Amino acid sequence: MLKVKDSCTGCGKCEKTCPFGAIKVENKKAVVQDNCNLCGGCVQVCPFDSLELERKVEKKDFTNYTGLWVFTEVKEDGTVRNATLELLSKGKELATELGQDLCAVLLGSNVGELAGVLARYGAKRVYIVDQPELKEYNTDAYSTIIIGLITKHKPNIVIIPATPLGRDLAPRIASTLEVGLTADCTGLSIKDGLLLQTRPAFGGNIMADIMSPNTRPQMATVRPNVMKMAEPVEGARCEVVREKVSIERGLLRVKVVERTRTSMPGEKNIDEADMIVSGGRGACDEGNLRLIEELAKVMGAAVGCSRAVVDLGIKPKSHQVGQSGKTVSPKLYLVAGVSGAIQHLVGMKSSDVIIAINKDPDATIFQVAKYGVIGDLYELLPKLTEAIKRERGL
Amino acid sequence: MEEWFFTEEQQMYRESLRKHLAKLITAKVVEHMEETREIPKETIKGMADFELSCPLVSEEYGGAGIDLVTAGIIGEEIGRADPTGSTAVYFLVPAAWSRMIFLYGTKKAKEELLPQMTKGTIWCGIATTEADTGSDLGSMKTTISPKDGGYLVKGAKTYISGVREASTMGGGHVTLARQTLDKGVRGCTLFYMPLKDTPGIKIFQDREMGREGISTGGFHIDDVKIPKHYLIGEENKGFYIVHEGYEAARGIIACVCSGAALKALENAIAYVTERKAFGQPLARYQGIQFPLAEHWSRMMMVRDWAYKSLRIMQQEKEKKATRFESSQAIAMAKLWAPLWAFDAINFAMQVQGAYGYSLECTEQKSLRAIRSFGWAEGTSEVMRLIIARELLGKDHKGY
Amino acid sequence: MHIVVCVKQVPDTTEVKVNPETGTLIREGVPSVINPFDQFAIEEGLRLRDKVGGEVTVISMGPPQAKAVIQLGLALGADRGILLTDRAFAGADTLSTAYTLAKAIQKLGKVDLVLCGMQAVDGDTAQVGPGLASTLKIPQITYAETVDVTEGKVRARRTIEDYNEVVETRLPALCTMTTPSNFVPTDPPFSKIQKAKKKPYEEWTANTIGADPEKLGLKGSPTWVKKVYAAQTKEKAIIIKGSADETVAKLVEILKKEHFL
Repeated sequence: MLKVKDSCTGCGKCEKTCPFGAIKVENKKAVVQDNCNLCGGCVQVCPFDSLELERKVEKKDFTNYTGLWVFTEVKEDGTVRNATLELLSKGKELATELGQDLCAVLLGSNVGELAGVLARYGAKRVYIVDQPELKEYNTDAYSTIIIGLITKHKPNIVIIPATPLGRDLAPRIASTLEVGLTADCTGLSIKDGLLLQTRPAFGGNIMADIMSPNTRPQMATVRPNVMKMAEPVEGARCEVVREKVSIERGLLRVKVVERTRTSMPGEKNIDEADMIVSGGRGACDEGNLRLIEELAKVMGAAVGCSRAVVDLGIKPKSHQVGQSGKTVSPKLYLVAGVSGAIQHLVGMKSSDVIIAINKDPDATIFQVAKYGVIGDLYELLPKLTEAIKRERGL
Repeated sequence: MEEWFFTEEQQMYRESLRKHLAKLITAKVVEHMEETREIPKETIKGMADFELSCPLVSEEYGGAGIDLVTAGIIGEEIGRADPTGSTAVYFLVPAAWSRMIFLYGTKKAKEELLPQMTKGTIWCGIATTEADTGSDLGSMKTTISPKDGGYLVKGAKTYISGVREASTMGGGHVTLARQTLDKGVRGCTLFYMPLKDTPGIKIFQDREMGREGISTGGFHIDDVKIPKHYLIGEENKGFYIVHEGYEAARGIIACVCSGAALKALENAIAYVTERKAFGQPLARYQGIQFPLAEHWSRMMMVRDWAYKSLRIMQQEKEKKATRFESSQAIAMAKLWAPLWAFDAINFAMQVQGAYGYSLECTEQKSLRAIRSFGWAEGTSEVMRLIIARELLGKDHKGY
Repeated sequence: MHIVVCVKQVPDTTEVKVNPETGTLIREGVPSVINPFDQFAIEEGLRLRDKVGGEVTVISMGPPQAKAVIQLGLALGADRGILLTDRAFAGADTLSTAYTLAKAIQKLGKVDLVLCGMQAVDGDTAQVGPGLASTLKIPQITYAETVDVTEGKVRARRTIEDYNEVVETRLPALCTMTTPSNFVPTDPPFSKIQKAKKKPYEEWTANTIGADPEKLGLKGSPTWVKKVYAAQTKEKAIIIKGSADETVAKLVEILKKEHFL
């Protein structure tokens, strides 16, 4: 229920802000219209604190909540981020088990074509809100609109990739809807008809199984590079539901003033790489990460590094793997010159195959490695690079 | 376990101090002190910035105004952090002896010297020992006599900490000399003597077994003029107050020894739980467990007693204890802490076998440092005499 | 300007171990520390206060021993410290925690800027910050590395994956802070710890903040932890030693075997 308090002055800010045209000023007071979907956008901007959202969990019968929704993150270049495709792949399994529809939610500008991609990865229906104001991600706009969509269409489950965007967006939605949200899941399954969410905690030292039985939708953000991407089904189609909203400038409270790219365009992004060759302080004796980069090049791998390398100014933060950098789980993580401080391990220890090179046999990195090489990287890396060049006939 | 002895602030301070010392006194700094026999300037500055210079002096003169128990905490933490013992001495000697200037110096001297000492820009040490006289202060050969409105000092001091520091960066030593020769200890005067650019002072430096980051040496005193305001306490009454300086230093030393020994035992525990021999970790053998248990219990007990003795000394200032109670308590801490710490660290070295003997080993450094506390600021023999004196009374004094 | 910094006391996760038999955390002997990102948030808040004038309040929801992180905040220089402590808060998930903190902040009156650490190193969810902003109805900036305030706006620098960004919003607002590369946490010296003793410190309960009991603790937590267990311990690494040429040859074998070549 959206309540208008007596302190309302009829200033009209809510009317201007509401994306769905669901609140209007009549006789100097705001009046809530029938199509209000409790998105809460007006509540955020009312200067007099005169709007209040009351959510009463009336009954615990959630049978009318159906469908598994995946949030679509669109990259700078207009394509769909791999993390979304991974979630659709996993979502298909879960939706099939539940006997419900897999849907995607897509916000952006000129994104209509992407429905095809989403369909090929299993989406049966895509909810699209396509407007120029949505070209760039904005917390207020995206959360408000998605809350509206959720309230209107009542999905059972909503999963979002645990990218920085996803982690900014999801809790905003969950908090407004007052539903359970589990962060950074590495495992999803169905148990007793509910979503069982598995995630690491305590720096990855323990795993926790979590469920949200009493609220809908059940929400989770899911760690990228963990779920397997399925093979796309060529020619698959889906239903498209277009929603139109009006987005008032006042709703977009946070503005990006400046934006500069830190990585070279065309440089392999470690987030989506299958193979990463990574270097730490031990590989920086010459003031660069050349040996690591050369090996990565012949292997077709992305270049990663520890925080120390970023601190030394040798690589930008976009390459940093670790607690305050990126968490990666590629198929291959080949690392040299990293001793294995916990802050780094946390960011890479769930990689499939870890090969570690270090001249100290007691280095902690060997505790998470599948193969440990005790040797001098300055000798080994150039030779390895040559050997791989020969193997690949480069 | 609830902490009953330290206040919340002291516990908080200990945590903050421990973290900070770990940043200031890294393995690299320890190596530097061993190789160059100097404490790096950044480390000294870092300690001064963290209010560790002469902190027993009040805020009026730029000191942190801490109490003696808190000074003990600093001692213990530095004892843990620096196996060479250099920074421990660098802290405790000025801390104990600037306090004497603070308690008994003239206003003029305090205003001139203390603000610099609390900033850590000049040294404050202690000079009583001579080539032929250590514990027997009544037989010192250095003399002081009033002259021209000030004093004239003649003689020599040896085994003095900080001679290089005082003569290069500035500062000096709280010095004891004989004024009325036929009165022995009842004719001694305590005063401040600057070392840098003082005419008549010629310094020399020794090589020591350990703690070489702080210099040890001596100086010849050739008709050195001392201004009147550098007198500490009253003429001929120096012996009665110099004890307070020793006692503060001794209490802190007992804490330093506790810190160093407990850290060494922790290192030993880490070693014996990993290292295997004959199919199991060393830790499983009773031959390791029994001595470990003994050393640990002794160090924990003497650590507690060290803090208690500093608390009693603090209480003496508040007239809640007598100076005999505090002297005896401090002597008990100072008697056992260095002896037991040496044995504990020696054990920690032994369990590490050949590695324990290498210069790389931390315990080896610690052993060399802690050995000095068997005689520094009062020998273990004198400690026994003090304790016995309080038990048996003045009529049966053993000296 | 009134800045509120939300902090949490966490176990030192670098020291946490798991009991391999029961799968539970071995908490004994693990020291409790301030969440590292929260200490940075405090220091940023203090830096801002010293620049533009105002007051910093440090607040935490936790058991009685969490008093230590409030005291640390005061020793670092905060003006006021509040510990929200009540049995009713126990078992709160991120939604309930955000609600509880929001009620407390609302009680504080005029608040211009709320700063939080980006995430707590035990829960690792990063959900309380945005949830709190949402409940307070204020805009959020996440992953900020530094913040600045001018003319009623807050401006933050952040690094998001491949971009450096500067973002801005009007106050009141909330920022979640991530530590920049060169951050070294400050250790308060003795004088600051002494001064902290004299600063206002209060303990607030559920009653103090007029919280709805249905929204507190376990009751108010829609997420339920069903099971906690040790992360799968990896098998020991296969160690490769030898001359450089031998090692490289072995590595090429391995890469082939694992289908990377």
